[in-house]
Amino acid sequence: MDNPYRLLGVSLCAAGAIFAPVSYFVIGSVAMTALGISAVMLGFTCIALASARAPVSSEACELMLQTGMQNTAALLEELELTGKAVYLPSTMADGPGRALVPLSDGQAILRVRGKVPARLIVRYGLGPEEMAVSVTTPGAMTIQLLDTRPGPTPADIEAATGYILTGALDIATSVGVRMTDSTVEVEVDGPRLGYEDAWYYRCLGSPIASIAAAVSSEALGHPVRIKEESQDRGRSRITLEVLE
Amino acid sequence: MRIYNRYIASLAITVCLICIVLAALDQDDLAVYFTLNVTAYLVITLLYAYLNPRTRRSLKALGMTFFAGFLVVVALKVADILQG
Repeated sequence: MDNPYRLLGVSLCAAGAIFAPVSYFVIGSVAMTALGISAVMLGFTCIALASARAPVSSEACELMLQTGMQNTAALLEELELTGKAVYLPSTMADGPGRALVPLSDGQAILRVRGKVPARLIVRYGLGPEEMAVSVTTPGAMTIQLLDTRPGPTPADIEAATGYILTGALDIATSVGVRMTDSTVEVEVDGPRLGYEDAWYYRCLGSPIASIAAAVSSEALGHPVRIKEESQDRGRSRITLEVLE
Repeated sequence: MRIYNRYIASLAITVCLICIVLAALDQDDLAVYFTLNVTAYLVITLLYAYLNPRTRRSLKALGMTFFAGFLVVVALKVADILQG
């Protein structure tokens, strides 16, 4: 019984199951009996929460995330790609949303034409230099956790991002979203996955920024680029640029 | 504090507060304690809508069990009133 919620739940259930009848029949206190019944209720709730923990350990999950990120980083470094990635919604890509990193040095992707195939090297425009490396990101994969496609309002994006980061993945405390014409600003409180000054993060952003970008892109139906990302006193600020 | 710990903490605090307040009001009907605790459970669980789908399914099943208990208490009260 290595799950702390299950351990707490079983302890509360056992304590409540003993305490409630003793309080009712021996002590004769209704309030104490109610407290015993409440302990049983809380115990069952804790046991239900035990299922929230993944069957694999968090260390194993982190190991797999690091492996995937290092493989992508090796590819980016080998090709010496320094451009910022553009996150595509699922409507503009085959399969789950993907991220495009421009192949031409110093060139930024301004517009993506048509549907991008699920291949490694793809063409995103008509020009000969409009080629990019298409990769799957943590953000693109987490979109599958959403039951429905989020709406295009800041409240919808905030709800969807909050659901993924604070509820489903439990890697942040809260999320706030502000939106202007072509910019989405996301503030994440208590992020448990930080930003590192590494090649992968400079191109594709941190996993949290990747999730924010993927959700915003899916919600708005437009490609999105991580313009800026900073972390300060337990708060992560991510500025996203919405492209045409 | 993580969302699951926050959820359990808020549930434990609310349930304790309900028991303390009702005890202070000299309430000696166990059904009242149970009904209010079930209501608090359902409301707090509804407020934590961000929990992951697997957990929500488990909590929903538990909520339905508690709600069935709540209905039994209500049915007993109604029968009691009808019998005079």
